[in-house]
Amino acid sequence: MKLGKSSRGAVALAAVVVAAASGCSTKAPESSGGGGAAADVQTDVGIEGTTIKLGVLTDLTGVFAALGKDITNANTLFWKDNKVCDTYDVELDVQDTGYVPQQGVQLYSGMKDSIVAMQQTIGSPINTALAPEYEADSIVNFPSAWSKTLTEIPGTGVVGATYDVEIANGYDYLFKEGLLKEGDTVGHIYFEGEYGANGLAGTQAVAKEKNLEVIEAQIKSTDQDMSAQITQFKAAGVNLIALTVAPGQLASVATVAESQGLDVPILGSNPVFAPGLLQGPAANWLKTHLYVASPVSSFDANPDLLKKYEEAYPDATPSLGVVVGTGMSTIMKQVLDAACENGDLTRAGVVSAFNDLKEVDTGGLVVPIRGYELGKSPSLESFILQPADVPGGAKVLEQAFEGEFAAKIAG
Amino acid sequence: MTQFLSLLLNGISLGAIYALIALGFVIIFKASEVVSFTHGSLLLLGAYSIARLSEPLGFFLGAVVGVAITALAALAIERLIINRLRGAPVISLAIVTIGVDIILLTELIRRIGSDILNVPHPWGGGSFRIGDVGISQNRLIATIVAGVLIALFFAAFKYSSWGVSMRASAEDGETAALMGIRLGRVSALAWVVAGALAGVAALFLVGSPTPGVSPTVYTVALRAFPAAILGGLDSTGGALVGGLLIGMAESFAAGYQDQLLFLGRGFGDVVPYIVMIAVLLVRPSGLFGTKELTRV
Repeated sequence: MKLGKSSRGAVALAAVVVAAASGCSTKAPESSGGGGAAADVQTDVGIEGTTIKLGVLTDLTGVFAALGKDITNANTLFWKDNKVCDTYDVELDVQDTGYVPQQGVQLYSGMKDSIVAMQQTIGSPINTALAPEYEADSIVNFPSAWSKTLTEIPGTGVVGATYDVEIANGYDYLFKEGLLKEGDTVGHIYFEGEYGANGLAGTQAVAKEKNLEVIEAQIKSTDQDMSAQITQFKAAGVNLIALTVAPGQLASVATVAESQGLDVPILGSNPVFAPGLLQGPAANWLKTHLYVASPVSSFDANPDLLKKYEEAYPDATPSLGVVVGTGMSTIMKQVLDAACENGDLTRAGVVSAFNDLKEVDTGGLVVPIRGYELGKSPSLESFILQPADVPGGAKVLEQAFEGEFAAKIAG
Repeated sequence: MTQFLSLLLNGISLGAIYALIALGFVIIFKASEVVSFTHGSLLLLGAYSIARLSEPLGFFLGAVVGVAITALAALAIERLIINRLRGAPVISLAIVTIGVDIILLTELIRRIGSDILNVPHPWGGGSFRIGDVGISQNRLIATIVAGVLIALFFAAFKYSSWGVSMRASAEDGETAALMGIRLGRVSALAWVVAGALAGVAALFLVGSPTPGVSPTVYTVALRAFPAAILGGLDSTGGALVGGLLIGMAESFAAGYQDQLLFLGRGFGDVVPYIVMIAVLLVRPSGLFGTKELTRV
């Protein structure tokens, strides 16, 4: 192969750059001996000097883009103001999966040699696809999904109660408020797949305890018109509509229920609600009929967080994703602080600190986490929220509480 | 009985929207012999344009401009791609339309993100009731508009010079061209009409009882496809009947899900395709499609 003059020049330049880069990397060992507390802390991958690098696999362009942006912005904002062990700054390596699992797997392989842990991985399919790798690489990860299967991945920290426990807490609230009684009929619309199945499992468990009759209606996430399902529920005389779906289906359920005069409460798993629904025709019905069981509190109860977020991102319409993001970063800080205090910020050390985590308090953002045990819901508590004309679109009806069915379902 | 009538009414109104979309498939097939898979993205483009334009322009002007944009996009696809590939194998053209669909869809989904864009229909989420049977006003208006548009189309198809040209070119393109019919113009106009019908369908698809504009709007086109096929891909009347059949079958299957439990959960989703297969097994050219005659 013959190279022209300019090509030879380019090759020489590239060689110099590579040499310079590799020269820099030889300084890496110094990094574990930074100042202060860092001096005695053992490190391996993902820490240079006093900077810890965490990965973020989020969705900035796919179907969950708005949520992904909110959670990621909240992560970024949190780490701007916080340090690990008062010594280490945290830098986030944010990558956009577009909610495509294959993309997520590729992006992870690109970042895995430079991060200590994953601050966030959005979406059950991507978390599931990466589970074997996270386990093999000893990665602590926080998903923004609450399926029970995620609790079976070592190192993965679901931020609150799983969907079955969550909706069971919702039932408990409705019983307490007299909105539902023993022997009633419930119509539950749920997505096919893990999310829907896990929510339905909660309904079935409560139905067994309280003798409820359950009418199940399984749908695909692409089904948008809930007319037929609500017509069926009305004919069956349901006393409650339970939903483990997405905001689009909730909007349809509300408008059809209103038009058919099916005046019963609607109980939803936390992903059913989005503040954008309050701009649609279903708004008024939702404000009076919807009860959302949620692992996070609302902005109503956290005005400081909202103010800070709006100052940092003036153009955004913040959703509860901001609370989720800040909550998961708060838990990550506790894990990293503990690992640092143990003198071991290696990946294994971080996993060990994660496993030792007990009674995590995020200052009321997220429900209290009892700890992470494989296959068990990390929390037994949920908030109950209702849509309202407040920032973030929802107000807290009931502070975090443990319902009577939670412990039995959570395992 | 109330449940049956409610489901029937819902099925008819859904079927009317499917018929508008299916009619688009049929017109394009008749005029350019292309099985167009671009309808999913055209629907979403219509819905997205109407939602975005309703705010600055007001609902009615926004809707008109949104429908026009969809029609123009269909025209652009025909002029820039399909027309230039005239003579290519039919199967290649179909695959090309899938490619165009994916490109347009990806861009629209990126723009929409996870937001639900609301279209401010003046009739909102109100409903129209006869006794215990109710239907959303949006769907009622959709059914009426679809009926009027389909009737207008049939009249134009039968009596206008464009209709005659189109029927002639569908019957025998070469002879029609020899008779002075400009096939390119017929085809272009067919795409414009199909695009506009998709735009109108989108306008009603994103109103009560379905939520606003979300990326899943495009999947409706996939359900209208069996409607066009079972009616007979070259029959405009077939598109109407096919649309109504699919709409009703889907509504009943979802509404009587419990009684159909022995067929498995989620049966409602596969109903359009089961109906299509059943019809084609009995009538391979669809209910009203032209039978292929081969002399030997």
